[in-house]
Amino acid sequence: MRIFSLALCPLVCIFATAVAAEENPLASSAKLTGLLAAAGPDGKPVLSPEQRTYFDGLNDHLKALLTKAVDADIITRADHLGSILALGLRPQKMEVFLQDNCVLCHTDPEVQKPETFFPLSQESTNSPAHHLNLRDFVDDAHFRRGLSCAGCHGGDPASDKLEHSFVKEWPGTGRDKDRGWVLSFCARCHSDPTFMNRFNPALPTDQLAKYKESPHGKLLLETKDPRAPHCVSCHGVHGIRSAKNPLSKVYPKRVHETCGACHANAETMAGFKLPDGSPLPTSQLAEYRTSVHGRALLERGDLGAPACNNCHGNHAAMPVGLSSVSQSCGLCHAGNASLFDGSKHKQAFEEHKWPQCAKCHGNHGISKTHDAMLSGGPRSLCTECHQQYAKDNPECTATADYFYASITHLDESWNRFGVIAEQLAMKGLDVDPIHDKLNELADTVKQARAHVHSFSKNSFDQVAAPGNQAMQSISTLVDDAKSEFRLRQLGLLTSIVLMGLVMIAIYLKLRRLERQEDRSHQ
Amino acid sequence: MSDLDRGRGWRRWLDSRYQITPLIEFLRHKEVPKGPHSMFWYYLGGTTMFFFVVQILTGVLLLMYYQPGEATAYESIRYLTTKVPFGWLMRSIHCWSAHLMIISLVAHMFSTMMLKAYRPPRELTWVTGYILFALTLGFGFSGYLLPWNKLAFFATSVGTDLVKSVPLVGNWMLQVLRGGPDVTANTLYRFFGLHVVILPLAFVALIGVHLLFVQRQGMAPPLGAKVAPRGMKFFPSFALRDLLLWLFCFMVLLVLAVFLPYGPGIPGMDWELGEKADPLAPAFPGIKPEWYFLWEYQLLKEFPPHLFGLEGPQLCLLVVTVLLGIWAIIPWLDRQARRDQPSPGFSDFGWGAILFLTFLTLKAWDIGASGPATSPASLKAISWICAWWTIAAGVVIVGVRFWVHHHRWFFFTGAALLHVVLHGLLGLSYLVAGAIAAILAVGVVTACIFRDRRRQANAGGSR
Repeated sequence: MRIFSLALCPLVCIFATAVAAEENPLASSAKLTGLLAAAGPDGKPVLSPEQRTYFDGLNDHLKALLTKAVDADIITRADHLGSILALGLRPQKMEVFLQDNCVLCHTDPEVQKPETFFPLSQESTNSPAHHLNLRDFVDDAHFRRGLSCAGCHGGDPASDKLEHSFVKEWPGTGRDKDRGWVLSFCARCHSDPTFMNRFNPALPTDQLAKYKESPHGKLLLETKDPRAPHCVSCHGVHGIRSAKNPLSKVYPKRVHETCGACHANAETMAGFKLPDGSPLPTSQLAEYRTSVHGRALLERGDLGAPACNNCHGNHAAMPVGLSSVSQSCGLCHAGNASLFDGSKHKQAFEEHKWPQCAKCHGNHGISKTHDAMLSGGPRSLCTECHQQYAKDNPECTATADYFYASITHLDESWNRFGVIAEQLAMKGLDVDPIHDKLNELADTVKQARAHVHSFSKNSFDQVAAPGNQAMQSISTLVDDAKSEFRLRQLGLLTSIVLMGLVMIAIYLKLRRLERQEDRSHQ
Repeated sequence: MSDLDRGRGWRRWLDSRYQITPLIEFLRHKEVPKGPHSMFWYYLGGTTMFFFVVQILTGVLLLMYYQPGEATAYESIRYLTTKVPFGWLMRSIHCWSAHLMIISLVAHMFSTMMLKAYRPPRELTWVTGYILFALTLGFGFSGYLLPWNKLAFFATSVGTDLVKSVPLVGNWMLQVLRGGPDVTANTLYRFFGLHVVILPLAFVALIGVHLLFVQRQGMAPPLGAKVAPRGMKFFPSFALRDLLLWLFCFMVLLVLAVFLPYGPGIPGMDWELGEKADPLAPAFPGIKPEWYFLWEYQLLKEFPPHLFGLEGPQLCLLVVTVLLGIWAIIPWLDRQARRDQPSPGFSDFGWGAILFLTFLTLKAWDIGASGPATSPASLKAISWICAWWTIAAGVVIVGVRFWVHHHRWFFFTGAALLHVVLHGLLGLSYLVAGAIAAILAVGVVTACIFRDRRRQANAGGSR
């Protein structure tokens, strides 16, 4: 029995070791262990503590994939391994990465030429030879969904053979001369609703159709102009990110730069003309940056403020037509657009073929509106047209004057009472009712300014009248508060006088007592 | 015929039941010592107690409307100050009186220190007063959170966080203080209980003991003077003077409460309600505690994150504990005062402490800041300007002491001013400058002590 037991023990040990090796692939990877422990010429470990910590945190499946790549001699050196670990990818991305032999080979500087090497550091991308940065690549929206090199370029990412088999849409030569192929290349997937539905059901698939109808599309497909933008011009190549990603070239705060790369470049835009034959200006970007919209988006970070594409469209980008200006502006300024559409000016503007909102407010360089636009002074907007087309219409001038006088009166009152409310608050008085009414007044001023677009005194009065009532209420509340403060002062004065009298009485009593005491001591 | 027989009926009635005659006789014969020093310092204890009584009375009135709780605390204070008749006045008086009470208490403590009133047999009066001072600061700290506004919330978060630095039990103490890991409604309930029940009970009990000591031992006579041949009668002369001063204090309090209902508007002395606390909102920059904690707040800022193997706040807490510990046991340290002799070293220690606190407080107020107070240029400008202000105050103090009071002992004041000069004017780090000044002061004082002992020994030998 003892002999049997002694014979069984080694068998059990061998079996247990085999099972353990099956569960823990690292047990069989002396190569990987060697790379992890490798030291540089200075005797220090090649892998940084952060890279080592990242490796230790990988799950068994990822460690097995890494072992496989090392055992297949795709990863042969510790610095190559370190550069992969340095990416610090989440498990899902790391799994895609480690299963893609294209990336694994192209990240090895020893094997690759400089122009085919995918560098890790941002600095090395400054070289024109490098069009791909590894960090951008792994941040790409496609990579996250498992679409790596082979997804676009073809080939078998699982193969370790050094051969490429590009998809048919990838032109063998002349890729830079006519970029029209890029459209069909991207459209293979992006115009296929069934395919796209697997990844992002909310993403439209009509980009190509829109693009073809746009001036950009016509320029590329019909005129074959190499300056025409295509998918890559705006979205990038190997670092394509969602429009919601702040690093994306089409993120709202970066759209102006992307469009401006061409539209603000006089050299690129040379030869393009407006319908009236004049050269296409390149001042839009500079104007936009200083406009209310540009400042709201770029300085305040208000993502609700429009960028180029909000008015011009994106894939179907085109100049805003004369009749669609108010439609475009009305998307946000719906109230003003509606008032204008119901006004007398609508018809007059159409007769003169004036671009509605843009006629008074401008387009790219829209500046902050001010009440003086309604005044009869030099900053007036009305004068230019009215002197030419309605010079002797007293009603127009009277209405503009009325608007200006009413709004400035309400606004000045709001400011004046605001300051008074602050002063009363500092005195400890209850100013909540005043602030409520001030808010009402502020709303009224805002609405009154909007109702200027009705160009109707009656319509304007309907919103301005509550402001006058609010002003009256505020005035009464302020008077009440001031009375209350006077009452407090009176109460204080009375108390001080009474206390003063008591103090005098005490003082007199003290003096009398001390005199008595002095006398008794004498 | 005794006084009692001559008294009115109610007095006889009371005496027959409670034997009040000995008490009346005690008060009739009680005297306050007169001397060459100003009598003014004797009234500061009374004014402190007056402000405390005002606190109790206004506190009770506030309590009738205040509702502790995350959803009600801020709202109830807002309702009280805007809708309740005279609610604004009660809150304003309560806040002003709190600050005036601390000012009065600090002045009372320093006057006791300078007059050496802590000398035997009044050591325990000093100790009870010291604990009362600590309780008053506790009142200030716990009351600050009760309105549950934004500033109070974050200031309390920062203030309570300091407890973490206490070795071994710091985290536990923080949990106990906050009622959890963070400042929440639990903290509010705790602070409310502390502010309206625990601290008042402790304070009243301790003030009873403090007053009992004062009554039993009488007020301390001036140093070196034997019992004055003729003191001032406590009743009615001193008591009426007390009343006169209280009325004056009340008048000042009312004027301040009516004209500056939210405080004078300086950091650490401002109680505008502002916005309600939002625990999820990010803490806003520039949060500062009440003015009486500013020196400690600034001292914490002067310490680096790590020093001598300890965390900066831990070391700072250690320094503060040592300084406050020395302050607490001064009656036993001051051997000359124990022998009823002048102890200029301890007077100078008090003045040095005042300059030390002044410099830190001025710095915490960012006086002289040009632009954001955290920029290096601003920090330098703040140190520079605050140093000049402190030096100016120091020169005035030293001048008055030298020419008016003929003091000749300035080592601690000198060390405090040297610290200010090295840091504020010559740009040395606060701690390095402090270490140089402290080493110099300790060295010189030790040398003086040895010299005096040698002289005494020589004098004894020659005799």
